Amino acid sequence: MYGRRASQLVRELASSESGQLTAFNNDLFDQVIKECNEHQVQLQSLLRKIQDDGLDIQTTKNADHFGAVAHHLSLIRNKRCLMAYMHNRAEIIRSLRWKVGPVLPQEIQQKLSYSEEEYFKNHSTALESYMSELDLDLTVDMVPPKDPYIQVRVLDDIGDVLLGDQSASLMRNSVHSLKRTDAEQFISQGLMEEFLE
Amino acid sequence: MASGSEEAFWTEEDAQSLAETTDVELLKRAWRNEKAAPEILSFQANLVQRSREQIQLLEETVEELSGNASDDLIISLYQMDLDRALFLLRSYLRVRLQKIEKYMLHISKTQLWNRLSEQEQKFAEKCTDIMEKHLQQSVLARLPYGYQSILKQSISSEEDDMVPEPQLDTFVFCKSKGSVGAFQLDDTGDEIVDLVADDLYVLRYKSIKGLVEGGQIDLV
Repeated sequence: MYGRRASQLVRELASSESGQLTAFNNDLFDQVIKECNEHQVQLQSLLRKIQDDGLDIQTTKNADHFGAVAHHLSLIRNKRCLMAYMHNRAEIIRSLRWKVGPVLPQEIQQKLSYSEEEYFKNHSTALESYMSELDLDLTVDMVPPKDPYIQVRVLDDIGDVLLGDQSASLMRNSVHSLKRTDAEQFISQGLMEEFLE
Repeated sequence: MASGSEEAFWTEEDAQSLAETTDVELLKRAWRNEKAAPEILSFQANLVQRSREQIQLLEETVEELSGNASDDLIISLYQMDLDRALFLLRSYLRVRLQKIEKYMLHISKTQLWNRLSEQEQKFAEKCTDIMEKHLQQSVLARLPYGYQSILKQSISSEEDDMVPEPQLDTFVFCKSKGSVGAFQLDDTGDEIVDLVADDLYVLRYKSIKGLVEGGQIDLV
């Protein structure tokens, strides 16, 4: 059946958890592309046949014409599915820039296609140049502030870090009271967690 | 008792009308509208500029206070005020960026383009280039001739039919500041709503678009 593989591709998106990325389905993707090109071959040969029969392409409404229309529509549908797949994945990839930061962990990177990896890097650079032009980091402060200070527990040996005008020694498992803006970058990198008593 | 409450009432009223015109309050409004509107609204250039100046002032105040060892409580109050203002500003800019990211193609080919700040326009341009390149090399270049456009489904489409657009007929919660009076919701005039000040309405964004842009109604 025409268009079945493409719909599988889209269904994969729909069934995955929102905001979560599944591994890029290279096989299926290539198959759909191949299908598109087969449609084109069929479409062209039908159009040629109409011409060879000495009929006008615009007005002929015979079996060949409707065959060609079916191929054309299948091709368009496949294209829409492919684009929807890429587009929605790109949306998730962009959201990762906000949630995870400029460097993606290995396990996420494995799920991206080569072009997607490039897309992430380029998009991230574009965002950074916007923020540096504004001289304002927009990736911190993702939740409305309650208290300017929060309690955090350090998950990894970070060492001595200069925070504002004082340095703190961030050893594993130690608990600190830090400025929320300072702590956020560590939390998003997974080096700290909010410490709730 | 009676006179006392009356007095309190007046000062409260005064304070409220005063509070409504501060930049923080204006920024909060702009932020709320931006968050709730499905499409991008005009960039509040002056307001953002003023807010940034005030934030800088606050930063200096906090620094000064912590320099001369003032009361910790006072410093932390200032700090909290500062953090809140910063959050508002950042979130406002962020919401806009996310809309640009989502609807870049639509924005760049319509009037909406003029609603962006200079920096946002630059960002949108870059975004579009990157997105185009990405889609080009992973999908479009591999499709047959005639089906390679990013804007059209195929060469036979008469208009751009592959551009994601914001849903303007989605419902939004809104509150009118002053009394707008009888307002026509659709073109045919079948549906008319009497917009009373401070009442809460749920309406289609499309029909009150003009009022939001004109600042007569606020989204919540």
